Amino acid sequence: MGAVIELDNVSTIYEGERIPSLHNITLSIDEGEFVAVIGPNGAGKTTLLETINGLLPATSGTVRVFGKNVKTHGLEIRKKIGYVIQNFEIDSLTPFLSKDVVMMGRTGRIGLLRFPNQRDWERVFSNMQLLGIEGFKDRAVGKLSGGEFQKVLIARALTQEPDVLLLDEPFANLDVSSRKRVSDLLTTLNIERSLTMVFVSHDINAIPEACTRTIVLDQGRIVCQGELETVLSSSIVQQLWQRGKKHD
Amino acid sequence: MIELPLILLITALLGSILAGLSCSTIGVFVVRMNLVSIGYCMSHAAFAGAAFGLLINVDPMFGAIVFSIATALFLGPLSEKAKLESNVVIGFLFSIMIAFAFIFLNMIPGNAATGAALSILWGSIFMINLNDLFLLVLLSFVMLLFFILFYKELTAMLFHRKLAEASGVNTKMFFFAILFFVGFTVSVSLKLVGGLLVFALIVNPTSTAYQLFFDFKKISLASPFIGVVSCLLGFLVSLEWNLPIGAAIVVVSSLIFAFSILFSPKRKKGKKPLFS
Repeated sequence: MGAVIELDNVSTIYEGERIPSLHNITLSIDEGEFVAVIGPNGAGKTTLLETINGLLPATSGTVRVFGKNVKTHGLEIRKKIGYVIQNFEIDSLTPFLSKDVVMMGRTGRIGLLRFPNQRDWERVFSNMQLLGIEGFKDRAVGKLSGGEFQKVLIARALTQEPDVLLLDEPFANLDVSSRKRVSDLLTTLNIERSLTMVFVSHDINAIPEACTRTIVLDQGRIVCQGELETVLSSSIVQQLWQRGKKHD
Repeated sequence: MIELPLILLITALLGSILAGLSCSTIGVFVVRMNLVSIGYCMSHAAFAGAAFGLLINVDPMFGAIVFSIATALFLGPLSEKAKLESNVVIGFLFSIMIAFAFIFLNMIPGNAATGAALSILWGSIFMINLNDLFLLVLLSFVMLLFFILFYKELTAMLFHRKLAEASGVNTKMFFFAILFFVGFTVSVSLKLVGGLLVFALIVNPTSTAYQLFFDFKKISLASPFIGVVSCLLGFLVSLEWNLPIGAAIVVVSSLIFAFSILFSPKRKKGKKPLFS
């Protein structure tokens, strides 16, 4: 299987900053891979995801997704990349119904000057059902709990029918049973549909078993990568955790 | 009650309906995107434009339209480029427009022109003519078409701009389009409501609709309806008590907004909302 995500010597610097949040990252992710990205706070995990989908432009180096340069084909590429955003805060009076927010994921897929059809709505409701939130379809998102809203965001990303799914701390706000449900769902999607996934977490225990590769980021650099168990037993990662404990 | 010639009455009525429709349709975006102070900015740009028009001996309304739209078109790229909040850029443009207006007025010999420029700020029912009506019809039609054709992109952007961008929506293009429509709406509504009060007609009906509904679709439909009702009631009040029409419309729309806060189903506890 060919690479769907390729980063070649990529650095990303935020405006007004001098130190890159990502530093000379070279990375290739194949179709159907389930990659977990872990690392301490500020390691550059979210920056990595947003550099991949082009929301943050890489300062140097090349990012290619589906063989196309994100810098020049960002809009087209993003239509095929689902993104579950981290720490999404929402006003309780936000006037959007859950089903409409889930449908918004398909906006790019449906395309300009086209309207959602019966099939689009069926996909919305089926994904809401998969996440156990079909009962909330007519509720305003501002009225949902943090966990319920997180599931709406996951359903939104799945409804996009992405070829690549980027998940930034997707288990945030989820209780244990919901974590299991979402984890199983992601595993099924990866195995049955060969959906390429990049899963970001600061919690090692949150990584689904189906994950094929784990990448450890620290201070914007990849410090270690491989199978989860190998990575966890490496001395670099051990040092990182020790450092983290000292800071705590 | 003031008695108007039939043609003037019909023109003014149609003008009220169309201004209410267009202002409160664009208001849906302005309120949700926190661009409320854009009304101030546009109206002062219009004032500066009217003063400039008088200075160079062209129709002050033409100057007002050019300045409002130019401000709208300048606002988007500037806030994007400088990575500033729109409200910060609006604050900056607001003061510079007032400064321009004073400079232009100061450069015009005599005081007669000042009155003409100020009439743009107050608005008057008697200033509406068939050309203005045509512009309002055109604006309302184009804006409704834009709203309907790009409804899914616009709602995705209004919910969360970054997420919309992540789904493949060109949010920059839509943001600029909205700013352009705000500028155009303010310009063509100036004669009726006046530059100082037009932002109230943009904000009040939408704010009322936000009090009543949780569903954005319903807000999008209710806001223009409330806007039209506010304008018609304001028009009647203005005729009945011989008040400036802009002020009457704003008072009516503000009262409707105040009632919506009092009776908002969103604020009821333990009861099923009437309009969920």
